[in-house]
Amino acid sequence: MTVHSQGVVTSVPEDAPRKSAGESQTPPPSGSKEVLQRPRGRRGLPTGLLPYLLVAPAVISLVVLLGYPLIRNVILSFQQVNKRELITRKPEWIGVDNYKELLGSSDFWTVVVRSFVFTAVNVLVIMLIGTLIGILLNNLGKKMRLVLSLALVMAWAMPIVASVTVFKWLFDEQFGVANWVMRSLGFAGYEQHNWFETGTSTLVIITVLIAWGSIPFVALNMYAGLTTVGTELYEAARMDGASGWRIFWAVVFPIMKPFFLVTTFLEVIWVFKAFAQVYAMNAGGPDRGSETLPVFAFVEGSGQQHYGMAAAISVLTIVMLIAVMSFYFRLILKQEEEQ
Amino acid sequence: MKRKLIAAIGVAGMMVSVAACGSDSKSGGDTKTDGPKTVTVWVMDGSAPEPWIQAVNKEFEAKHKDVKVDVKIQKWDGIQEKVTTALSEDTPPDVIELGNTQTAGYAATGGLAELTEDKAKLGADGWNKGMLPSAELDGKLYAAPWWAANRVVVYDKKAFKDAGVTPPKTRDEWIAGLEKIKSTSKGKTQPLYLPGQSWYVLAGFIWDEGGDLAVKDGDNWKGTLADPKSIEGMNFYKKLQSYSTAPKDKDEATPQQSTDVVPKGGIASWIGLGWEAGGAIKAIEDAKGKADFGYFPIPGKTADKPGSVFFGGSNLAIAERSKNKDLAKEWLALAAGKDQMAKYAQATEGAALPNHDSAAFKAPAGTFAEAMGQAASVGKLTPITEGWANVETNPNPIKEYMTKVLKGQDPKAAAEAADKEITERINKK
Amino acid sequence: MSAVSTASAVAKGSAAAPRVPAGKRPVGKRAKVVGKAGKNVLALLVAAVFVFPVYWMFSSSLKPKAEILTKDPVFVFSPTTENYVKASGVDMFWTYVQNSFMVTVGAVLLALIVALAASFAIARMRFRGRKGLVLGVMMAQMAPWEVMVIVMYMIARDSDMLNSIATLTLVYFVMVLPFTIWTLRGFIAAVPVELEEAAMIDGCSRTQAFFKVIFPLLAPGLMSTSLFGFITAWNEFAMVLILNKEDYAQTLPLWLTQFNTAFGNDWGATMAAASMFTVPVLIVFLFLQRKAVGGMTAGAVKG
Repeated sequence: MTVHSQGVVTSVPEDAPRKSAGESQTPPPSGSKEVLQRPRGRRGLPTGLLPYLLVAPAVISLVVLLGYPLIRNVILSFQQVNKRELITRKPEWIGVDNYKELLGSSDFWTVVVRSFVFTAVNVLVIMLIGTLIGILLNNLGKKMRLVLSLALVMAWAMPIVASVTVFKWLFDEQFGVANWVMRSLGFAGYEQHNWFETGTSTLVIITVLIAWGSIPFVALNMYAGLTTVGTELYEAARMDGASGWRIFWAVVFPIMKPFFLVTTFLEVIWVFKAFAQVYAMNAGGPDRGSETLPVFAFVEGSGQQHYGMAAAISVLTIVMLIAVMSFYFRLILKQEEEQ
Repeated sequence: MKRKLIAAIGVAGMMVSVAACGSDSKSGGDTKTDGPKTVTVWVMDGSAPEPWIQAVNKEFEAKHKDVKVDVKIQKWDGIQEKVTTALSEDTPPDVIELGNTQTAGYAATGGLAELTEDKAKLGADGWNKGMLPSAELDGKLYAAPWWAANRVVVYDKKAFKDAGVTPPKTRDEWIAGLEKIKSTSKGKTQPLYLPGQSWYVLAGFIWDEGGDLAVKDGDNWKGTLADPKSIEGMNFYKKLQSYSTAPKDKDEATPQQSTDVVPKGGIASWIGLGWEAGGAIKAIEDAKGKADFGYFPIPGKTADKPGSVFFGGSNLAIAERSKNKDLAKEWLALAAGKDQMAKYAQATEGAALPNHDSAAFKAPAGTFAEAMGQAASVGKLTPITEGWANVETNPNPIKEYMTKVLKGQDPKAAAEAADKEITERINKK
Repeated sequence: MSAVSTASAVAKGSAAAPRVPAGKRPVGKRAKVVGKAGKNVLALLVAAVFVFPVYWMFSSSLKPKAEILTKDPVFVFSPTTENYVKASGVDMFWTYVQNSFMVTVGAVLLALIVALAASFAIARMRFRGRKGLVLGVMMAQMAPWEVMVIVMYMIARDSDMLNSIATLTLVYFVMVLPFTIWTLRGFIAAVPVELEEAAMIDGCSRTQAFFKVIFPLLAPGLMSTSLFGFITAWNEFAMVLILNKEDYAQTLPLWLTQFNTAFGNDWGATMAAASMFTVPVLIVFLFLQRKAVGGMTAGAVKG
């Protein structure tokens, strides 16, 4: 069925001769597969000008359309550009004042800590539930698998702008379905329960929304990956008397490690950058209690019209993100080299 | 394989045509300046009744052949940034409606054309003296006042009658009445729908006590919510809000009280503007119901004077970068002139007070406009300084303060925190 | 979407994993039946949770006004199309539709072409700066577009490129480009070099080999990357809001938000608009997924 494309996608190398797919480009590390080694490998392919010509359009596009704005953004972060300066088009150079103000403000650090905790919790929830649902998919009959995959694809396909609107309404204080569900289940106090009472409760609802939208991606990919594992491995492990838990850690996890690596990497970026979901839910409120870094920057920029300050926030955000992700970069680059 | 190649070529071709589309539309815009001129007018959603503005444009276009007026209705959401960026562009809208609490802020940026010399042409002599200050900065005129409105209490006549309550004249009577509705309806009816963040309503109570939101302190301004008088105002708001089950952390627009809340019934009274009352009536009638509303000004501390109210409204300004300043001024003189404003007042049925006293709508007894008129004499504005606009932007510290107090925090501490934020924002240029 | 890039890695991992001979199932039959029922119930529950918001959107869009905002939700109602009529009756609706499709399709196709060339070079060739490029592409995915809107605005304003569909297309193109390169690179790397070499031995030129051998095998990759690009560009809101003030250059996400106005939130129309906004994405999803499967099997068999 249609929904399995991810499975197919992931199983590309399985359809193709498995070992050559992964390892033909570089000499394999161990001697056991020497037979498969291709002496020509990459060296047989032309070097010279061609690769540069091929990457040129991409490089030029990225430099002009992303690199240049990023540099402008850095410049902006050293300027005072508020409503007045934007209109007169005369930015005022103020050096590191924006950074000084930010780094010396406890509000900023609160938001930083909140962003990291929020990202960590979200990614954990997404990866955990996504993995479990992926395993569930792998263990289902054909029909049920189709039903569940379709449900996941529906959630996945729903545009963020639309899903935020729906979620806001589901958790509405007066007309929300969530309160109705709680009442129907017999819980007291849900006559007009405010799900956005505090910053934390707001972030919990946002986590539900983000998890709901992101889990399908992880689950379907997880399932796709599992199909490449091959049932004989589980069976064998089970024969040896291993528990489900042990099977996962001893058999599935090592195989799926690259998958977890890359998916976690993407989810961290996506959650950390999540803006529409956080902002649209409660505009960073109540009392700025649910502001994450991108929302903080947006409120400071588009809301308060302190564009220089907002640029400084965004620059610091990028720097922090890169710092946090640097070990990921190293891992992935290493993987790159092995290919 | 061939198919895919063709597809790829088709793609490239498409990009060219897409790019061509972009440049087409732009050159289309450029030619406008050569041919017939266009005056672009931005008005906010709900400000200008459609038939009225069409009549204004017809009269204007009859006077100026070859000139077209292009009216663009703007949404409130994100309007500040939209106006700011628009004023920074080479071809901004010529005439822009600005909230009266925002005008000074834009005037200070240099984005608005100064209109001091055009006062006579615009008919400034007849303007409402209460509305004019919001259009000025440092003694110079930057906009024409357009309309103003204030809030009154809208009540369900039947609910009041059932409880044996008549419209109150003082705060004490008001509270007593709400208490009575509460006890007689046994919780079925909400005596007053008042969300926690109706900060314009709070401002009135603060003014009643002799306090203010912010005052001038030497060259700077400072927030004064922590002033004992201002806290008195908040205390009264809290008392009033205890008669409502409305959310404490929302304002009157989320959910929209007039169309989403009141029409559902079970609400004896609420505080709203003219268009809100109209919207509620329409929503009720759409659902095949019947609205029987009465109106009274927000009661004051004593019977001789109604409670102070925030004088909300709009001004019409001209962009400094406008390419058609003279035409824009002519349009402004026409639209904000006495004759058209009289028609405007008529078209809004008195829900909006026109900029000329003499253009005012003679409100029949028992209407919203009548109740609004009674309170107009005690209408007040937010502090008139360019920094005030910064205070109002979300997250609005006054709103956060209100929610905190309503949820039981110490008013003094919460007010001091809010004052700190207000002081910081109001002095930012 | 990204599974792609993990594809080869996963396979490699499985190849390296210890091989244990297959054996018989030790699980008892009854336990299995119970377990199966439990699993199915669990699956249904999970499916319900994931579908509910989507269902709620579609069902609310069909509800008469009086039954939308209610304290207790209404599940049985006589459907009406009034919300759809209202949502699509907005001035310029078809312009928004057209613009949305143009920028989305334009950005995705452009990104595919540019990314295809670049990712082929990255996956198949050695050249100086290759590693730097990979790193750059990875970092580019972190670009904080939402907070860069004002810079983009200033650049577009100063170069007279506001209110242009072309500008928007270019911006969306570069938004989706890094991910597209990264993903396609994984796909190309997964195609065995031997296939290409065999074609070249058979007398194909390198270009021919690419189009005859690699390109058909890339169908699923192209599909899943365009899926990602489609969603990104289709959803984009912040940029178009500030770059294109004129309604002739605006897109559907802006239209979607305009039913929440000062005059009341029209939830029925909002939900109808959201539904209409979602349907193309759903169609693209289902369509591309199926194509991806078909393309893959065909390619594999021929290969």
